[in-house]
Amino acid sequence: MYKLRRTMMFLPGNNPAMVKDAHIYGADSIMFDLEDAISVYEKDAARLLVYNALKTIDYEGTETVVRINGLDTPYWREDLEAIVRAKPDVIRIPKTQTARDVEKVEKVVEEVERKAGIPVGTTKLMAAIESAMGVINAYEIASSSKRLMGIALSAEDFVTDMKTTRSLEGTELLLAREKIVLAARAAGIYALDTVFSDVNDDEGLANEVRLIKQMGFDGKSIINPRQIAIVNKIYTPTQKEIEKSLRVIHASEDAKKKGLGVVSLNGKMVDKPIIERARRVLTLAKASGLSIDEGGEELV
Amino acid sequence: MEFNNLQEIIVEENDAPYLNQVEKLLNEQGLKRDKDIEYTIAIENGEEIIATGSFGGNVLKCIAVNPEYRGMGILNMVISNLISEEYRRGNTHLFIYTKPSNQKYFKDLGFYKIAEVPGHIVLFENRADGIKKYIDGLKKNNKQGKKIGSVVVNCNPFTLGHKYLIEKASKESDVLHVFVVSEDRSLFPFKTRYALVKEGTKHLNNVTLHESGDYIISNATFPTYFIKDLSEAVKIHTLLDIEIFAKYIAPALGINKRFIGEEPICKITRIYNDTMKEMLPRRGIEVEEIPRLVVDGQVVSASIVRQLIREGNFQELRKLVPETTYNFIISREAEDIIKKSTLYFNIAQN
Amino acid sequence: MEIKTAATAGTLESSDALISVEPNSKNGIEIELNSSVKKQYGKQIKKVIIETLNSLGVKNVTVHVDDKGALDCVIRARLQTAIIRAAKAKFNWEEDDAKCIN
Repeated sequence: MYKLRRTMMFLPGNNPAMVKDAHIYGADSIMFDLEDAISVYEKDAARLLVYNALKTIDYEGTETVVRINGLDTPYWREDLEAIVRAKPDVIRIPKTQTARDVEKVEKVVEEVERKAGIPVGTTKLMAAIESAMGVINAYEIASSSKRLMGIALSAEDFVTDMKTTRSLEGTELLLAREKIVLAARAAGIYALDTVFSDVNDDEGLANEVRLIKQMGFDGKSIINPRQIAIVNKIYTPTQKEIEKSLRVIHASEDAKKKGLGVVSLNGKMVDKPIIERARRVLTLAKASGLSIDEGGEELV
Repeated sequence: MEFNNLQEIIVEENDAPYLNQVEKLLNEQGLKRDKDIEYTIAIENGEEIIATGSFGGNVLKCIAVNPEYRGMGILNMVISNLISEEYRRGNTHLFIYTKPSNQKYFKDLGFYKIAEVPGHIVLFENRADGIKKYIDGLKKNNKQGKKIGSVVVNCNPFTLGHKYLIEKASKESDVLHVFVVSEDRSLFPFKTRYALVKEGTKHLNNVTLHESGDYIISNATFPTYFIKDLSEAVKIHTLLDIEIFAKYIAPALGINKRFIGEEPICKITRIYNDTMKEMLPRRGIEVEEIPRLVVDGQVVSASIVRQLIREGNFQELRKLVPETTYNFIISREAEDIIKKSTLYFNIAQN
Repeated sequence: MEIKTAATAGTLESSDALISVEPNSKNGIEIELNSSVKKQYGKQIKKVIIETLNSLGVKNVTVHVDDKGALDCVIRARLQTAIIRAAKAKFNWEEDDAKCIN
């Protein structure tokens, strides 16, 4: 089953109003930030707030992600000690440079899972790539751990490292984006794109989402609920795509019923990746609220 | 709307672009940037500053929110930030002065009213029982008598002039309560001043010494940033002081008279005294102005003594202070204090 | 845990609570609550505070709460933060996790 991650909404972990209502806006994932959005003086407060919130509030199935502080700070270990116990779905590692970074985090996560009596492997990880070195090492990072469910590009710090600035065209991010999608696909995990910071520029956002969707990204980080609808719309499959996917799925079900080893449609062989894509399309369609004539069968 | 682009920015004193914006925002609301500011926070919306707040010591001040951004909890943001920073610096008992028209905002923010001068100023603190605890402390020293007098002194340092004032007041009262201003903005720190007053008055057996605490406001902390001119500011300051004295302090100790030293030189103190003489009797407290002690044809004043200290003229200054004060001034301990002050004084002069 | 100085945590923004703690000279727990929903939730808020103080082993403290409609878990988080700041101590995650106050 393809888990939807079209939108990952960032919110500061020290803001109770946002933390308690994060799940009502309709984002696929919500990310509580302990890192850049939190001042040095409030790291302790944010950690305790997110810890208590995750333990108490029912986020009704929305995926919960916590961004811990970087491995070059004195905070990350205690972040993990606290947060893993509160059982978020994913821990996001900022500024990932090498596979070693992921391994370091995984080691501590495992320690805490054991101490807390949580089945080892429960907490997933994701790695944010924010530097030239990180992009170069994208594949080794993407394949560094079984827990790693995705890699993301964080453009702000990346362009600083590249000694340039962000633009609407995104020229400076072309290679980084390509590499991250490539690495994610090769490793079989999700690829997530960076934040679009101008919350008043709907068209700019839409253009960027179209671009990254075409490149193959599974979704995008967002910083304002307004952006959710725009991203979701672009990720909504067209009617044509839906019809095609339905036919693929039917063919697959058909072949299963007949006990055939090979699926064929319109005289052509349909292999596994195509069937998986069809499932993804239908999942996206369903999430967009489109009605699909499934012919009375559960297809996804 | 919670998801906004608002950023909190700490404004440094050398940060001209931001400071200009802060001043502009304050001016637009009829306020000006106060002297004596230790910390300033500003809220920026990505383009310009839309709110600001500052503090000096334990007094929050110069707080303003752009009218277009009212009703969005921005004031809460500013005040929360100021409170947080104050606590980090170890100041947990905080005060705010504001115009009476603004008082409703601060009631909602965990501040409690102490006193008001209608139409002019209101003083708040962040404790429900702050003034009450102070008064309870005072009451412990309640002494019986018919003529219960009071004096408020700074004593920077304790001079023969102070001694003269207190002795006269003591003679005319059954009980005399002497309040030494607690604030540490004088050359000599509070501990020292208090000790010198104690030494210099121990021969008077009807005198009780008190720390003034946070509730007798010195000129240094009284904010002037929302009052048009200086002499009006002094008058309002005095009225507020009188209000607090008459409402809380005098009743706690049964005080029915206040002694003040005549002020021949300083205009500000003169306005203060004149206002006292006019207003306190209306609250049932008699006021007596006592002429200043004169030595060698000159009024004995603490500022002259400080000047002599700076000049190193110990011979002259010995004539103006009691033995106990003089012994302190020539001591090792005083040396450091004086050295530091001379430096500041020279910088201020230049 | 023993409180050494005064400390504060939280803000006055909506859904939050500004909580200040300081050592109590008179021994024991004193709570001052300021809340627009004091009538309906005052008791519950005080309950959460006392439970949290007990779980941290704090016996002598004055707690001042300015509540702006905070959930129990927010009150707990802010109080825990203020206490560890005032005690200049580290929070014991293992112990708290095991207690499962929730």
